[in-house]
Amino acid sequence: MSTQRESTRPAAADTERVVPLREIAFSRSGDKGDTMNVSVIPYRAEDWDLIREQVTVEVVARLYDGLAGGPVTRYELPGTRALNFVLEGALSGGVSRSLRVDGHGKSFQSLILEADLRVPASRIDGDG
Amino acid sequence: MSLADGYVRIGCGSGFASDRLEPAIALARSGRVDYLGFDALAERTLAYAQVRRRADASEGYDTRLHETVAGLAPSLRDGLKVIGSFGGANVERAAEIIVEQLRACGDRGVRVGAISGDDVLDVVRRLDPEIEELGATVGELGDRVVSANAYLGAAEIVAALGEGAQWVVGGRLSDPSLYVGPICHEFGWALDDWDRVAHATLVGHILECSTHVTGGFFADPPYREVPRLHDLGFPLAEVADREAVITKLDGTGGLVDERIVAAQVSYEVHDPAAYQNPDITADFTQVTTEDVGPDRVRVCGARGNPPPPRFKVLVGVDLGWKMVGEISYAAAGCLTRARLAAEIIAETVAGMGAEVDESRYDLHGIDTLVGPSFRPADEDPAEVRLRVAARCRDRDVAEELSLEVERLYLEGPAGGGGVTRRIEPALGVFPIYIDADSVNPSVRYLES
Repeated sequence: MSTQRESTRPAAADTERVVPLREIAFSRSGDKGDTMNVSVIPYRAEDWDLIREQVTVEVVARLYDGLAGGPVTRYELPGTRALNFVLEGALSGGVSRSLRVDGHGKSFQSLILEADLRVPASRIDGDG
Repeated sequence: MSLADGYVRIGCGSGFASDRLEPAIALARSGRVDYLGFDALAERTLAYAQVRRRADASEGYDTRLHETVAGLAPSLRDGLKVIGSFGGANVERAAEIIVEQLRACGDRGVRVGAISGDDVLDVVRRLDPEIEELGATVGELGDRVVSANAYLGAAEIVAALGEGAQWVVGGRLSDPSLYVGPICHEFGWALDDWDRVAHATLVGHILECSTHVTGGFFADPPYREVPRLHDLGFPLAEVADREAVITKLDGTGGLVDERIVAAQVSYEVHDPAAYQNPDITADFTQVTTEDVGPDRVRVCGARGNPPPPRFKVLVGVDLGWKMVGEISYAAAGCLTRARLAAEIIAETVAGMGAEVDESRYDLHGIDTLVGPSFRPADEDPAEVRLRVAARCRDRDVAEELSLEVERLYLEGPAGGGGVTRRIEPALGVFPIYIDADSVNPSVRYLES
């Protein structure tokens, strides 16, 4: 059964505010055996540096704590401005034998968008 | 012949074993593609197909094959070529069915190329590698090893097309290779022209999940809206030497844009600088996607290095039976009662000891029981559905445990309703890697 996860909300300076990653980027996950990958792509090209700086392995490992049993690795695709996180041991052995409702881990892609990001207070959000 | 215009036109006919046939037929009849690729296998599909073939030697191929052939036959007369993993665990039978069905449609003289050699179970038994995760060798697992299939690349597809095959059928063909084969065949690219093979692999990788690149798996209102999700078109690519345009048929639902195509570039990729396939180790890190028109996205920038020296093989292992049983509780106290029900089953599971390999308990539910207008007065949710899942080596034990969930009707906490229970085979698939000289694919030709 689920446990309450700790807030990942970092302190915001006066000139910053904190928004969920969902305001800035979208994600897509896939499965291979017991390993899941989830990529994160900002809607706007200019947010690439923002997510590279703030969506770290530590942030993702904390969000998926209790779901992924193995290490988390981050890769970058500068061409498509995607971060690709690979989470080993995340699928209870893989879809064919996992006892989870979602053995593929397809729903896991939505979780990463809960990460909090510090953005300039002047920023106007939305799917640009 | 589209090559006269400098590009190859290729579409996706299927992204997984249960995909819709109508969008594939629409692509075939549109006159906008010369090739269709069909992925009919997920990672686990083949192991299940092997189990079907064990039960009935004439089974184990794609269950949609008859209607697929009938639906595509008219387009074959116009020159369409088809490549697919329809064979599953029984390529020979699938090839015969394609031939029989084409004849039944009145189409004679169509050449069918059947690629075999992905089934390496005998080789794997002889090599007897350890399945690391299970801590046992293939030999020690004995009859519990139900399948071992190597991921084959594009070489045999290119060979079959070169021999005039209009329909190429295989078993475990690597998904991008379904597209790499025809692209390299049409352009005459050598399979060790790494950057070009990487480019063809990129196109195949983007197309092979069908609607994933035409708006499926993307909508997240209000941030991302996709029109007409019930009627998504399947994608096609216009492939040129160093670039390709990904698009879909006019009038179909969904959308193709640079964000969606970008998302698919890293889908199920681990290290994007070394995406490993039997044909190539592809580098997608510099790939770019660019909107160049309505539902038209230009992609380019893949680079390639030689493929890994060893073949990836998925070994299917019988892990017994998976049981899922569910029961629901409504209104005040429902959470407490659902948890009590879980405790009752957990006691039973504990009593079964080693007969149950693994079990878990989950709670879900929104508005299935007493209607959406009910608002709970206290902190409890409006309803809770307990889901019990367990894996057991013995089917009878799984059956008994599922009956324990049903008995919660009478014996469990107050107000338990809506029991469902099911039992299905639990098959694990485990990757191993074997030397290339242990895998010997070949092509056999049939004619309708």
